[in-house]
Amino acid sequence: MVIPRRGPSLRGKPEMDKVVNDFTINIATANGTGSQSANLILLQTLFDMGIPVSGKNLFPSNISGLPTWYIVRLSDLGYQAPGDRTHIQVLVNPATWDEDLAGLEPGTVVIWNTDSKMEMNREDIISYPVPMTKIARGLNPKLARMIANVVYVGVIAELIGMDQQVLEEAISKQFGGKAKAIELNSEAARLGRSYCAENFTKSDPYTVEARERKEGGFFVEGNEAVALGSIFGGVQMLSWYPITPSSSLAEGIIAWLPELRTHEGKATYAVLQAEDELAAAGMVIGAGWAGARGITATSGPGISLMQEFIGLAYFAEVPSVFWDVNRVGPSTGLPTRTQQGDLAMLYEGSHGDTQHIVFIPGTVEECFEFGWRVFDASERYQTPVFGFSDLDLGMNRWASHGFEYPDVPMDRGKVVLTKEQLDSIENYGRYRDVDGDGIPYRTLPGSGLDPILYRGTGHDEDGAYSEKPDVYYKLMQRLKRKIDGARDKLPAPVMREEEEQDIGIVFYGSMENTIEEIDDILEGMTGKKVSTCRVRALPLHSEVQAFIERHNTVIILEINRDAQMNGIMRKEYPNHLLNKMHSVAYSDGMPPRARLYAERIMEVLKEVGA
Amino acid sequence: MSEKPVKAIKLNVINEPKDSYTGGKSSLCPGCGHDQISSVIVNSAWENGLEPHRIAKMSGIGCSSKTPAYYLGQSHGFNTVHGRMPSVTTGANVVNKDLTYLGVSGDGDSASIGIGQLIHAIRRNVNMVYIIENNGVYGLTKGQYSATADVGSKKKKGATNETQPIDLCAMAINLGCSFVARSFSGSKKQLTAIIKAAMSHKGFALIDVISPCVTFNNNDESLRSYGYVKDNQAELHSVGYIPHFSPLEQVEVPAGSFRDITLHDGSTMRLETISEDHDISDAVAALGALHQADADKKHVMGLLYFDGEKPALEDDLELHDTPIVEMGDDILRPSAAKLDDVIAQLRG
Repeated sequence: MVIPRRGPSLRGKPEMDKVVNDFTINIATANGTGSQSANLILLQTLFDMGIPVSGKNLFPSNISGLPTWYIVRLSDLGYQAPGDRTHIQVLVNPATWDEDLAGLEPGTVVIWNTDSKMEMNREDIISYPVPMTKIARGLNPKLARMIANVVYVGVIAELIGMDQQVLEEAISKQFGGKAKAIELNSEAARLGRSYCAENFTKSDPYTVEARERKEGGFFVEGNEAVALGSIFGGVQMLSWYPITPSSSLAEGIIAWLPELRTHEGKATYAVLQAEDELAAAGMVIGAGWAGARGITATSGPGISLMQEFIGLAYFAEVPSVFWDVNRVGPSTGLPTRTQQGDLAMLYEGSHGDTQHIVFIPGTVEECFEFGWRVFDASERYQTPVFGFSDLDLGMNRWASHGFEYPDVPMDRGKVVLTKEQLDSIENYGRYRDVDGDGIPYRTLPGSGLDPILYRGTGHDEDGAYSEKPDVYYKLMQRLKRKIDGARDKLPAPVMREEEEQDIGIVFYGSMENTIEEIDDILEGMTGKKVSTCRVRALPLHSEVQAFIERHNTVIILEINRDAQMNGIMRKEYPNHLLNKMHSVAYSDGMPPRARLYAERIMEVLKEVGA
Repeated sequence: MSEKPVKAIKLNVINEPKDSYTGGKSSLCPGCGHDQISSVIVNSAWENGLEPHRIAKMSGIGCSSKTPAYYLGQSHGFNTVHGRMPSVTTGANVVNKDLTYLGVSGDGDSASIGIGQLIHAIRRNVNMVYIIENNGVYGLTKGQYSATADVGSKKKKGATNETQPIDLCAMAINLGCSFVARSFSGSKKQLTAIIKAAMSHKGFALIDVISPCVTFNNNDESLRSYGYVKDNQAELHSVGYIPHFSPLEQVEVPAGSFRDITLHDGSTMRLETISEDHDISDAVAALGALHQADADKKHVMGLLYFDGEKPALEDDLELHDTPIVEMGDDILRPSAAKLDDVIAQLRG
């Protein structure tokens, strides 16, 4: 259905079956054209109208000119995944025009830039042609390319009924204080709006209705939440090497540190941009050895490079914090797409027998919380600790209502600071298990208290070089006991359990934002209620095993090919559980779409007769 | 019979005997130049009156990097991973700037696997002493050439080295290193003076010490070969003096002159001490001296370049006077009110 230009005004339009607050907008642009600001304005406006909304940025590994899509999902049910299909498509980018257009279902709304010199060859869609560039040029010829993006925001606003005042407030927020930019962009939005009002009759069902807005909400990226958590965790040294999608985590720390951690006009922290990830890891370990809280943020390729150092920190027992914001591997992979493909590498990182503590946040609130908790765990257990996030959680904006201030004091672990303390420990040795929990005491460089030469070579309980079989064996057993002891002190799984206790889904990380929709789809398909259990740390909490014990059939759901969490569970769990554990692991680089995973789960359930 | 006079124990300026600066027994090959460097480190720290527990001894991997176990037993240390000591030291240095960081490395550790980290530590001007115990071979893996081996040098077994060596002093000067010196493990007096000066310098002090490997510049038939050492190790350690493994003679070369040193395998090495006229603030002159020595097949020794004004990494970071590691949790964790401020800003 093509609407003729110069049609009757939208005002006084006839009533039709409306679709309210339940549709997906896909905006296809090229990167480096300023579309990101426009898209964030759109997202913020909907959010400020109280409509549950989420935004996903699908961007290329490139600075300028390659295709970018921004997906806005409106959902009164609170679904945050991208959704199964596009309801409103904005076409600005000639490069992906044909492919984008061809992929649309009949009846999709298409708002397209007539100045793109591209053809509209679909008759079965609802077409709203807009001369976006021309309108923008009329306003400011120099900045036409940039503000053309805000023109489509105006068109969408008029078409779906967004509040103009809220829109202008969002523009003002986006350009924080820059009066000229605010005025220019507001005018562009108004022009887009009036073009739509004057030229089209609304012939699609998609509309928005404001909802009661929960006060105090804001958008924040997972990476920034981790950054803030780290600062409230008392970070003392950050070393990093830029890599997508973790750079904004390090940059978040750097941005907030001066305001939050300046004392008497001077820095109480050090930031080092390292020459590579190896050096970044070395710096973290150096800081940890010296007694400070060091952190680095990276992604899979960086963790690969850090492997040798991770083993050193494990074996020499040096506190150190590593955040992995997972992107798609292997190798350089898809640098700007999301995956949970690094989990196994984190858990057993480095050569030889190792086992590491991994914190796995699923929400931005947990990104903040685990941001500070990882330091406590790392110093408590004197071992490298990983934060495991991914591009979807880390680089997209998520709605939040606030972060909880740490409810416990900083845990600096078993550090001996005075001679009296040292003397009170019977038979002190740097690597002697005095308390029976596998965790030794340590003294710090500069203290003069029982100094040792830390080493990555075999060592006895006093830290002296040793290759003796029993010394090595006992050391490795103690390290195992130490990390095992952390299991139930780490964040417990979050469980939503149904009375039936029939089918259970175990999942983790950013899948949290899709699980509810998957759950609803499954219930719709099977009529059965499904329990869920979100793992939040490795090694696995005992409650995860208990959850599996209680259910008849358990799906382990993850965003990778090789079922990495499933593999970890199968290695650790008793035989009688293995038969009821089934894997659904799928990864194509995209943030998880609920239906796709739900259908795969259905296939498995059918296969096993559940 | 007169009683033997009781020898007074000599103390340094902070009333510590030299014993406070010694370490464990060396397990390197007897006569190794590295042990001489270790003893110079002990002397230098003692003579400089450094508090032993305020020194941090750092190393990578290799024969040289094992030596921190043999000196400064009252200091904490970290024998890290191969070629990565600079980054570990950098991380420690920025959180505790008040310690004296003493790094020891080798030519494999510094000129090959770790050259990137060395370069960047120099570039940042990390406040540390960085001693390279340079023998042109990988000792611990039995004598492969390293990246500092001279063109034309030949092991008794194996091919002649034809690959251009890396001159770490020239590299450091080009990178703007604030303290660059070359010395010889047999020149105890000169080396002590250089290490003492380096310990007092604020910034990155690179000292390239030629330290011949007594084991791997020898042929297999020789009594000084690896096989001989291995087979005779127990005996060798129990005997105080083995002629084949005698340490190199003490060599002090007056400024501006040179001397030929005969090594264990019969080859000679020509050492020249840089003249007293050399302007240590002149990087071009220092590079000129290095290139001239190279052309003359000599090793020029002494302090080659020095810049006492260059800000160290800790200055660039504008750190608080109190080392970060000593700050209380109340300073490290911002208040709940600050979190409220942050949230308010996020709300926009």
